[in-house]
Amino acid sequence: MKKVILITLGVFTLSVSANSQKYFTKAGKITFDATAASSPEQIEAVNRSATAVIDTKTGAVQFSVLVKGFSFERALMEEHFNENYMESNKFPKSEFKGTITNNSAVDYSKDGNYNIKVQGKLTVHGVTKDVTTDGKLVIQGGKINATADFSVQLADYSISIPGLVADKVGKSAKISVSCSLELFKG
Amino acid sequence: MKPTRKKILLYIVLPLLLILAAGGIYFYKEYNRVHKDTAKLKPDFTLKATNLVKEFEANEQASNKKYWDKVILVDGVVKQVEKDDRGFYSLVLGDTASVSSVRCSIDSLHSSEAAAVKQGTTIAVKGICTGFNEDEMLGSDVILTRSVVNK
Repeated sequence: MKKVILITLGVFTLSVSANSQKYFTKAGKITFDATAASSPEQIEAVNRSATAVIDTKTGAVQFSVLVKGFSFERALMEEHFNENYMESNKFPKSEFKGTITNNSAVDYSKDGNYNIKVQGKLTVHGVTKDVTTDGKLVIQGGKINATADFSVQLADYSISIPGLVADKVGKSAKISVSCSLELFKG
Repeated sequence: MKPTRKKILLYIVLPLLLILAAGGIYFYKEYNRVHKDTAKLKPDFTLKATNLVKEFEANEQASNKKYWDKVILVDGVVKQVEKDDRGFYSLVLGDTASVSSVRCSIDSLHSSEAAAVKQGTTIAVKGICTGFNEDEMLGSDVILTRSVVNK
């Protein structure tokens, strides 16, 4: 009997400690805006099926998104985005793997707003580059709302913009991330 | 015989103008083209959500080639109805015992139909396949975009 209780207790504590450290979403929102300053129209797209995981213990952060899931208002723009710029048949996924460098400053057990710094590697169009950005975590009722904005130079990721559309598509793109993560119950 | 003004006008200028006008209309339309409503598209493939997941799990590359950008009609048990802070819906279909699913991101024009869907019921959803997002811990999903609940 004692053994059973011990094992049950052991399993229980194990599962609690394993559970209490990872938060995730599969419906994260990532917006991409490459509108040039002079452009009369918005070159922007949104993807609402990004996967995100935050490990609250280690501060590890991971995002992955299917490039074909970015949706533009204009169909032609979306086709050009996939075929000419992102080559989504060749590079179907974009990923970010990094860490919250000031993770110890975040108390995940307490509701509140925390400014975070994130550092990691972003893979877009088959090219991996180091990226650093500020972000924000809002912890409320056991959920984490994570947001971050950062810019990338398209040329860094071997994405070239033809002269013909250079007045519309900028040299850099602003990427905004907004995710509501919940506790992962394995 | 010298070509008359009338003939030049009739055989050269007029056709040129017509071509220009047609080109102009074509580019204008093409440029302003929006996505077709998925509800009005004919499915390229019709299958069970669980079988679609199985196919991708067995061979992602071949399945990508087969299903990318195609209109797929899947049916299955609703594992989850998700609504984000902006009111956008995702319907998750598949085997409740498995972590992997078909995740359908619902076209905002058709939110109200998705809102009426109940967890645990069996429904059919039509959407455009964007691929397979693999994740060992969270389970791997086939993702459909601009999806609509099929009627």
